[in-house]
Amino acid sequence: MAPQAPVIRLRDVTKSYGVGAAKTQVLRGVSFDVDKGELIALVGQSGSGKSTLLNIIGGLDQPDAGEVEVLGVDTLAATDKKRAQIRNHSIGFVFQAFNLLDHLNVLQNVTLPSAFARDPKDVDGRGREALRRVGLSDFANRRPGELSGGQKQRVAIARALFGQPTLLLCDEPTGNLDSETGREVIDFFRELNAKDGVTLLIVTHERRISSVAKRVIAMKDGMIVETTDEALAAGSAGPA
Amino acid sequence: MMPVGNLARMVVGNTLRSRRHFVLSAFGIVIGIATFVLFLASTEQVGAVLEKIFPLDQVQVVAPRASLLGKDISKKLDDGIVKTILTRKEVASALPRMNLTFPAFGRGDFEGNDLKFEVGGFADGIDPSFVRDDERVQAQFKDWDSMNDPKRVACVPPPASPTQEVIQSPPAPGIANRPVGIALGPDGQPTFDKDGEPIYGNPCPDPDEYYCDSIDNRCHHRVPVVMSPTMIELYNGQFAKSHGLPIADTDFVKFVTMRGGLSAMRFSIGLGLTTIAGSNTSIQHRPRRVEAVLVGISAKAMPIGMTMPIQYIERWNREFQGEEAATTYSSIIVTLKDKTQLAVFAQWLQEKLDLRLEDSLGQKFATVMFVIRLVLVLISLIIIAISAINIAHNFFMQVTERRRELGLLRAVGATQHDVRMVVLGEAALIGLIGGLLGVGIGVLLALGVDYASAHYLPRFPYKPATWFHFKWWIWMGGLACAAGFAVLGGYLPARKASTMEPAQALTQN
Repeated sequence: MAPQAPVIRLRDVTKSYGVGAAKTQVLRGVSFDVDKGELIALVGQSGSGKSTLLNIIGGLDQPDAGEVEVLGVDTLAATDKKRAQIRNHSIGFVFQAFNLLDHLNVLQNVTLPSAFARDPKDVDGRGREALRRVGLSDFANRRPGELSGGQKQRVAIARALFGQPTLLLCDEPTGNLDSETGREVIDFFRELNAKDGVTLLIVTHERRISSVAKRVIAMKDGMIVETTDEALAAGSAGPA
Repeated sequence: MMPVGNLARMVVGNTLRSRRHFVLSAFGIVIGIATFVLFLASTEQVGAVLEKIFPLDQVQVVAPRASLLGKDISKKLDDGIVKTILTRKEVASALPRMNLTFPAFGRGDFEGNDLKFEVGGFADGIDPSFVRDDERVQAQFKDWDSMNDPKRVACVPPPASPTQEVIQSPPAPGIANRPVGIALGPDGQPTFDKDGEPIYGNPCPDPDEYYCDSIDNRCHHRVPVVMSPTMIELYNGQFAKSHGLPIADTDFVKFVTMRGGLSAMRFSIGLGLTTIAGSNTSIQHRPRRVEAVLVGISAKAMPIGMTMPIQYIERWNREFQGEEAATTYSSIIVTLKDKTQLAVFAQWLQEKLDLRLEDSLGQKFATVMFVIRLVLVLISLIIIAISAINIAHNFFMQVTERRRELGLLRAVGATQHDVRMVVLGEAALIGLIGGLLGVGIGVLLALGVDYASAHYLPRFPYKPATWFHFKWWIWMGGLACAAGFAVLGGYLPARKASTMEPAQALTQN
């Protein structure tokens, strides 16, 4: 049986911001693969480049050089439309700041991705199911302003799950939550990975997430400096 | 690409939730569009009034004036010229006009007043097919004398006046028994009173429309006459006031109906007679009387005077002035298939026929109106353009304020095009609503101006009932302009929104 193609394949990805003297190299030749069903914690100090890497994988940012393949699609060569389609159908994002729209109610926030989908089926039903999974069935008509931080993050997770994604990209998902709520979120991610086989890449400072991750990739100064699991399938962990 | 329904819902939702932004953005558009539609509607109406006075759809071909030793040697406009003009491909029709070339004198009763007026020099003829203003005019304005008319029966005309003064016929209400002809009895014979004196009256079977002609002693239909609106305006503006007569309603038919119908608008014409002292025109026939009736108001009539079917003028000119006068036209009205061909036609006319187009006041006014309209529309467009800049400014602020939201849309599947369309859609919606409000305010202002005009402006010739004509294209143009400029204003902010890196938009404050 042929080996399954990785969900994420990065090769020598570099990224910098600014020009001239103000130029900052954020990523310096990052390479690794993520297989389907993995739960990976991407750790490192602030400014190490982990969020930038996450955004590049999600197609929210573009690298200066390198190869980025997500779900079999070369996202650098793909059109904006194709990248948007992948984000809409196959990738879910969970942000530290939740990024809920205050003028929409909870259900409308969860079903927001359907606005950009062609012929979405049973939008409300799927939205309510996503809310049920995060334990907020009774909050569909509330406004984000009426929710606690933990509830907001659960709504954000429900939105990420609305499209039944293959890949969930989370950027400090527990960063704004108290420890108890953070633990609940981590448990939910673990369950999601174990039961639904969703691949998760979580940027975090949270040690507990690292402890539940199947692999931990540590970054420093834009390079991968350590990985706690088996050697990377291909490429190197950083520049030579 | 985002489905249109979803886009519309998102655009409406976003617009409704930020009212302050809407008001700030739409304010300029409302003012700009209000002035835009107001200016266009007013110049449209003023232009229409001017075109009514000076019709633009036809040009008049005339011969340049030339004289030698006091004798008119101008080029003769005749049927040959008409035929030559008709050979031109840009010409749709060519209809001659013919002036009455000898003295004539009119007399009629109006509102109990015995009105006398010169007709010679103030009358011309035109082909009846040219005057089709309304059904009544179409039915009445024709050459009755060339038709086989069963009512053209024998009659005894009234005795000639010893002074050859034109006699009003038939008697107007209140002026009884003025001799106009011996009335016929049931046996068709003249009737007499107990003293053996003839009983005068209109002897014709249909006295409202026919009169007894003194040449062939037969009943003839009255000569149908049309007058231009200018005459009514002159009457209302000066004549009525100075003679203590009632103002004619803008609806002339209504005015006439109130005074006993068209049969009350009859008058006699003394062909060959004049009140002008010193007139030395030689005529080839002794003066005689015909009767005419005003059948309607038409812009096709000569501006100052009266117009009748050209066949009457031809016959009278032949009778009083000879064949030359009956075959020489005063002008030829040419209708062009396309107004843009006017210059080509005018050049050909001058070079090949040595003729020219009569100076058209209408065209001069049209040019002035065009310039005025251009200036006013430019002013309103400048206001709208400034409002578009205002919209751009507001939307740039909006895009900055909403960058997280726009970044999120990208994260959940919006393309750059989707984000651009959302922002442009909001701009277009603001433009459309602003445009609708602007059109509404424009109409309200117009109503106010019309009210003030009706109540506070004194009457003057051609004073319109309304100063504005909101044609459909003005409404649509206003809305399109509003939406167009708003979209233009929103374009750069939309571009900025769509090209923003979503990662930065989502993380930066």
